[in-house]
Amino acid sequence: MEYIGEHLLPGFIGRLSVSTAFVSALVAMVAYYLNARNENAGYRKIARYSFGLHSLATLGIVLSLFYLLLNHYFEYDYVWKHSSLNLEPRFVFSAFWEGQEGSFILWLFWNAVLGLILMFKAKDWENHSMMVFSAVQAFIASMVLGVYPLGLKIGSSPFVLMRETAENIGLPWTQLANYLERFPAFMDGTGLNPLLQNYWMTIHPPTLFLGFASTLVPFALAMAALIKGDFKSWVKPALPWAFFSVGILGLGILMGGAWAYEALSFGGFWAWDPVENSSLVPWIVMAGAAHLLLIYRNKRAGLSAAFIMSLLSFILILYSTFLTRSGILGDSSVHSFVDLGLSGQLLIYLLFFSVLALGLFLWRYKKIPKSKSDDDLSSREFWMFIGSLILFISAFQIIFSTSLPVINKLIGPEGLIPILSENKAPHLDPIAHYHSWQLPFALVIAILMAIGQFLRYGKTASKVFWRGISIALILSIALASYTAQVYYLWSEPLYLALLYSGFFAVFSNLWYWLISGKANWSFAGSSVAHIGFALILVGALISNGRKQVISRSQVFTENQAANENIQMLQGDSLKLGPYTGVYEGVEMEGQKQFYKVSYFNNPGDSEPLFQLRPFLQFSDQMGPNPNPDTKHYWNYDIYTHITYSSELEVSSPDGFGNEAEVSLGQGDTAIYEGHFVVLDSTLANFVGNEERQEILAGKLTAHLRLINPMGTEFPIQPAFVVENDFKEFRDTVLAMQGFKFRFEDVDPDKNEIQIRAWTKVDPIEKPYIVQKAIVFPMINILWMGSILMVIGSFIAVWQRIKRS
Amino acid sequence: MKRTHIALIIIIAVAMGAIMVSLGDASTYVNFEQAERNPGTKYTVIGYLDKEAAMNYDAQANRFSFGAVDKNGSKQKVIYHQPKPQDFERSEEITMKGFATDSAFIAEEILMKCPSKYNEKNEMAGNQNSYVN
Repeated sequence: MEYIGEHLLPGFIGRLSVSTAFVSALVAMVAYYLNARNENAGYRKIARYSFGLHSLATLGIVLSLFYLLLNHYFEYDYVWKHSSLNLEPRFVFSAFWEGQEGSFILWLFWNAVLGLILMFKAKDWENHSMMVFSAVQAFIASMVLGVYPLGLKIGSSPFVLMRETAENIGLPWTQLANYLERFPAFMDGTGLNPLLQNYWMTIHPPTLFLGFASTLVPFALAMAALIKGDFKSWVKPALPWAFFSVGILGLGILMGGAWAYEALSFGGFWAWDPVENSSLVPWIVMAGAAHLLLIYRNKRAGLSAAFIMSLLSFILILYSTFLTRSGILGDSSVHSFVDLGLSGQLLIYLLFFSVLALGLFLWRYKKIPKSKSDDDLSSREFWMFIGSLILFISAFQIIFSTSLPVINKLIGPEGLIPILSENKAPHLDPIAHYHSWQLPFALVIAILMAIGQFLRYGKTASKVFWRGISIALILSIALASYTAQVYYLWSEPLYLALLYSGFFAVFSNLWYWLISGKANWSFAGSSVAHIGFALILVGALISNGRKQVISRSQVFTENQAANENIQMLQGDSLKLGPYTGVYEGVEMEGQKQFYKVSYFNNPGDSEPLFQLRPFLQFSDQMGPNPNPDTKHYWNYDIYTHITYSSELEVSSPDGFGNEAEVSLGQGDTAIYEGHFVVLDSTLANFVGNEERQEILAGKLTAHLRLINPMGTEFPIQPAFVVENDFKEFRDTVLAMQGFKFRFEDVDPDKNEIQIRAWTKVDPIEKPYIVQKAIVFPMINILWMGSILMVIGSFIAVWQRIKRS
Repeated sequence: MKRTHIALIIIIAVAMGAIMVSLGDASTYVNFEQAERNPGTKYTVIGYLDKEAAMNYDAQANRFSFGAVDKNGSKQKVIYHQPKPQDFERSEEITMKGFATDSAFIAEEILMKCPSKYNEKNEMAGNQNSYVN
């Protein structure tokens, strides 16, 4: 059968590109393997051309998907699910990587780009490292294959037509040649999740996935070294890549935090959500790996640790991918992906590379050179090594706590080896749990960053060390004490300690750069990155530790502590911390409802100090989504978002609310608002064409009785009509009682029908909002630190490239 | 014995500590009945919205109450001292962290799982035909 209106060619090119990318990656892998065993110009040529073809095919996948999205070909499932006609063209990128398939393609794309660079730059390391690269690419390409050999699902393709998806196959409409014209549902896509319609969604995922891709290079080089048995010379080419990874992955993670803070209403920039954690952990490990590589480069020590951390960072990326995409996190995360039925494949992917890498490491462990002498206590390398171990343990703690759902699957009561008597749920207060571990780690790291710069490789004379560090120590004690005074931090010893050590790290690194680096930019990498990281710690500490909710409710109920959300009636002045806030009213702009709130210095002022317009974004699929608005001052932010509003109270425009739904079989009784509702019978009328055995229209009526507390009965007969595939409700309204009833649907399996009921709601006397407002002091230190850390990492990359 | 070995041993000890403490600190999934046996102790209950029970949000007092059914099918009134979550009626599954009292389960945090868009398409396109035959 020929379907009308489908565009099959771009989808075909897309699928062809996916298979080409998959096959050419496999060919490149085998050719590189043969060439590694037996150097041969022919093999090398095949390998390079295959990887080149792979990169071209990857580009082909990207372009085909963009083409489908830009042309609104809604017959494709991916296009239908992730875009719509009214989607602004600038959000087409967001639509591209909103779904799992698109984000796998993004990952594939960045890996191909980095692979091409490595292919031309790796020289002696090309064969072995590109073999690993090609194997990884074959695995990722298989994730978007979307083929079903022997009934197994391999990958999920973004180029599948809607009528071909597993959930639709066999449905009657897939047999209609004109289904695209006949059903209005196919004229337009369901659109991009409104939460994701902002510029962060355009820049955050590509940066983060470049970060993911960047961890592959040190991994591939370490693997190459282990396979080859040449354990030393990989460190030099791996170093700039490791720092690149620290910089770009760090940037991606921090962008996620900035996004959460600016455009999502999570109430902060970091919530220790499993999805956030699972990208942070590989970064921490990569930071450790980069420092271990540095130790080896300078002191020929700690090579085994450098190997294990370089391998682990990429393995943790795979583990994160598994966690966030297999559906295993389930109800422990607000924003993980749904399971696409790829969890088995993801698990194989994870196990393949972790068993291979760790097995190879253990097999070669005895041969990896180890330094015989013990590091001096006054040496830089010893404390850098300790610092890397702390990073490792910090990463371990985070990933272990994040993995509770996995632990349930392994050793829970229904797990592989039942050890635990009950399933473990995520921590009730995750922030307190993670802080109790991570704050002490951060404290030690900050101190090590401070003293490390003034220690020398080998041995440090104590006089030299103290002379270098004393000024930084004095400056930091002064500034930290002042800060503690301003932000009342004296009562919290742990915060105080972190504050002092954070400032210590800042000044020590600054001083080191001015004195030893002679303020020369080409030596600034480590200092700038360390200052940045220390500022992140200080900024997070002050802004989070001293955040102040200024929207505390004045009303106490049932002995509950004052609530953090405040109700603001339109036009009334309310005290909001140091301000007087007035809710001015609501404005509708497209799909967004803006709530204007003015903030005054004094209650009687005529001119407001500033106004904020947090909004609720509406969409057909998601309902209202709150979006915060923040007033930025240099030393603090006022962050506000709407948690409820009177606009949401009446769900239907005719003034009915308090929706309830009930399923009834014949003769069943339900209780609604003090009344009995009895289903007597259901009546169906059909109009059909007998010759063609077609039903053209049908009407279903439910005969119900409403019995009030006095025993008086009222017959109600809600109905719905189906005609031309449209469903039209004929609701029954009981004006006296203030009820509305709808015959919602029929459940033929259970022999039940669904009735939906509403009650008339009094019109709202005075519109109001409920909002949450938080003051974050000194959050700009955090952002400044983030930028410095990223800049510092890139200076370090540049330094390493220049020196080699 | 090298210093780095001592450091490694300490690290392993801390890691073991992290495992034990994390497992000990973690809450457990229970049903309402189990939560009621220890009133005041915090638990995580997974259930869904009882659509037949009354749902009420008092904005002045900032008190949202609704009925929930846990996985064993037992019903309970839940009080949440937060604004009514957006789109609450459409939730498929509700994760409630909180504690039991004599009169109701006091939820301190609520997570909802909402139906994915994929189901809606079936309603719109495919299943329309299903009740006709």
